[in-house]
Amino acid sequence: MPPHMELLPYIVAGWLFFCGLYGIVTSRHLVHCVICLAVLQTSTYVLLLGIGYRLGGSAPVFADISPGKVVVDPVVQALMLTDVVVEAVVVALMLALVVKAYEKSGCIDPKDLSTLRG
Amino acid sequence: MTLPPHIADALPALPIALPLLTAALLAALRSHLSRALMDGLAMLAAACSVADCALLMMSSHEHTIVYWFGNWGPRGSTVLGITFVIDPVSAGLTLLCSVLTLLALFFSWNHTDSGGNHLQPLMLVFLAGMSGFSLTGDLFNMFVWFELMSTAAFALTGLKTGEPAPLQGAFNFAVTNTVGAFMVLTGIAFLYAVTGALNIAQIGLALTHRHDPLVLFACALITCGFFTKAAVVPFHFWLADAHAVSPTPVCVLFSGVMVELGLYAVQRLYAVIFIPAVDENAAVLRHILIVFGVLTAMLGALMCYAEHHVKRLLAFSTISHAGLMLVALSIQGPLATAGFLTYLLSHAFVKAALFFVSGILLHLYRTASEPVLFGKARNQFIPAALWFLGGLGLAGFPWFATMLGDAMTSNAAEAVDMRWVSYVFLASGLLTAGAVFRVGLHTFLGWGSEPISDSAAKVDEEPDSPENARTRWFQLAAPALCVAAAIGLTLMPHFREEMLSAANRMWVQSGYLSAVYRNTTIPLPTPHSGDLEVKSAATHGAIASLLALLLALTSVFRGRLARWLRAGAFLEGPLYFLRAVQTGQIGDYVTWMTIGVAVMGAAFVFLLR
Repeated sequence: MPPHMELLPYIVAGWLFFCGLYGIVTSRHLVHCVICLAVLQTSTYVLLLGIGYRLGGSAPVFADISPGKVVVDPVVQALMLTDVVVEAVVVALMLALVVKAYEKSGCIDPKDLSTLRG
Repeated sequence: MTLPPHIADALPALPIALPLLTAALLAALRSHLSRALMDGLAMLAAACSVADCALLMMSSHEHTIVYWFGNWGPRGSTVLGITFVIDPVSAGLTLLCSVLTLLALFFSWNHTDSGGNHLQPLMLVFLAGMSGFSLTGDLFNMFVWFELMSTAAFALTGLKTGEPAPLQGAFNFAVTNTVGAFMVLTGIAFLYAVTGALNIAQIGLALTHRHDPLVLFACALITCGFFTKAAVVPFHFWLADAHAVSPTPVCVLFSGVMVELGLYAVQRLYAVIFIPAVDENAAVLRHILIVFGVLTAMLGALMCYAEHHVKRLLAFSTISHAGLMLVALSIQGPLATAGFLTYLLSHAFVKAALFFVSGILLHLYRTASEPVLFGKARNQFIPAALWFLGGLGLAGFPWFATMLGDAMTSNAAEAVDMRWVSYVFLASGLLTAGAVFRVGLHTFLGWGSEPISDSAAKVDEEPDSPENARTRWFQLAAPALCVAAAIGLTLMPHFREEMLSAANRMWVQSGYLSAVYRNTTIPLPTPHSGDLEVKSAATHGAIASLLALLLALTSVFRGRLARWLRAGAFLEGPLYFLRAVQTGQIGDYVTWMTIGVAVMGAAFVFLLR
C-alpha cells in the first residue's frame, strides 16, 4: 500500500460529508434534500469502517482462523449496521412527509413550503 | 429504601420496555380499539412508568444502580456490555418525562385529534426514547436513543398533515436534528478511534488529562450535535417552526423535556469525559460555552417578545430558557449543576402549564394568533389565572422553583467572578414574562389597543380538537397540576439539599467511575445549602416580574402613551433584522449550523489546547 493511503477513507468521509451538506443547503427539491441527507450519512459509514480497518486484517469470524490473527474491528461494523437501520427509518419517514406535503399543497421546492417565517 | 432483589433487578429495564411494548400493542390494534380505550391504555402505561421511575429514583438515592444488559460487566478496565447508570439525576429525568407524558395524554384524553389513533403509540415510543437517552451509560447507545426519540418527535410534529405548515415544521426539524445526530456520531467515532471505548466511564478514564486536537474536535462535534437538540444559537432555528405547529400535548413534551435532554447529555459528558480531559483549561471552556448561552438567552427573549403567534412565542421563550440553562451548565461545579437541574425541572412544569393553556385557547377560539384572540377570553378565569402564574414562573418570581435555580446559578457564578450572570437571568425573565403578560392582558382582559400583527401570526393553525365551546375539567387539571408542581417543589422539605447532593453525584467524575467499575457509590461530601444566598435572586425575580408587567402595559396601551414611553411597542415592531434571519428555509438553517460548528470547532481546537 502506498504511503498516506490509510488517510484515504477519512478524506472520502470528509468529502461525502461536505457533498451532503452542500446539497442540503442548495437544494431546490425536497426529495433531493432527503437524498443529500442520506449522502451525508454515508460519510459516517466510511468513517466508522475506516477507523476499524487493520492493515492485512481478515474478517472477524473466528470459525476458521486462529485467535491470534489480525482482524478488522467488528465493533465499528456493528455500529455501522445499527446506523444503517436508524437511517433507513429517518429517510423513510422524511420521504413520507415529502409525499404528504406534495399531496396537500403541491409544493416540492423547500422555498414554497415555507409558510412559517419570522 | 431496599426492594427484594428479584424486583429491583427488573426495575431498570421497565421504563423502556413498558412504553415500547404498549406502543407496539396499541399500534397493532389501533384501528380496532376505541379512542377512549387507546387513551386509557396509553395512560396506564405512562402511569406504570411514573411509578417505576419513582421507585428507581428512591432506590438510587443511596447507591447508584448500574444495570448491565445480559450481565456483560466490565473485565478489568475494559467494558464489554451496555449499561444503564441510574443515579438520582437520570432517574429523576425519566420520572419527569413520564409525568409530563402522563399529563399530556391526560390533557388530550378522548379529545385532541390523534391522527387516527397514531398519537398514543408515538407518544409512548417518544417516552421510551427519552428514558433510554437519560439512563444510558454508553455513548453509542445514547446516539441510538437520540435517534429513536427524534424520529418519534418528527412523526409527532407532522401529525396534522392537513396543511403545509406542520409538514414544513416537521421537515425542518427532521433535517436539522438528523444533521446534528450525524455530528454526534462522527464525534463518537473519533472518540472510539482514540480510546477504543464506547462506554462513557471507560472513555472518561482513558481521556483524563488528555486533550489532543482530535479529542477536542470530537468534543466540539458532540457538543454541536446535542446543542442542535437543545436549540442553542445558531442551531436553534428548527425549534420555533416545529413547536408552532405540533399538537399541544406534543409541544409540552418538546419544550418541557426533549430540548433540555440535549443539555443534560452535554452536562453528563462534560462531567465524566471532557472537563477532566481539558483539566487546566476548564475556565476557557467556561467562557466559550457561556458566550453561546448568553447569546441564546438574549436572542430567544427578544424574538419571544416580538412574536404574536402564541405557541411560537412560547417556543422562543423555551430557546431563551435553554440559553439560561446553558449558562448554568457552563459555570461548572456542583452548585451550578444543581442550579441547572433545578431550573430544568421547574421550567419544565412552568412551560408545560403555559402550553396547556395555549392549547385550551386554541381549542376554544380555533386560533393561536394574538390579534385574533384579542379580548376573546374575558370569561375564562381559571385559564387566565394559570397563564399569569406561568408568566410569573418564567420571570423567577419568589416561591417558584425557577427562582431557586436562578439563585443557585448566581451563587455559583459569583464564586468564579461572573456576577453579571444574574442580570442575564433578569433580562431573559423580564422579556419572556413580559411577552406572556402581554398576551394575557390582550386575550383574557381585552385591555388596550388591538395587538400588532405579523406574518407568523397570520399562519392559520388547524385546531387539534373538535369544535366545542367549553373546556373540560381535565384540560384545566393538567396545567393546574403543573403550576402546583412548580411552586410545590420549593416547599418540599430538603429540596435544596437533595438537588445539591444529586448534582454533586453527577458532577464528580470519580463517583461515576467507581459506580460503573466497582458498583460502589463512594460517599461524597454533601455540599451544604445553608450559605445559599436566595434573597438577591428573589429580589431579582420580583423586579423582573414587575418590570415585565410594566413592559407588557406599555405594549398594550401603546396608543395612549407618549412616544418615548412605548418601550414594549418598540420591542415588538422594529426587530426585523432578527426576524429576517428566521427564514423558514432548511438551506439557511443548515448554513447557520455549519457556521456554528466551524466557530465552535475552531474555538475548541485553538483555545483549549
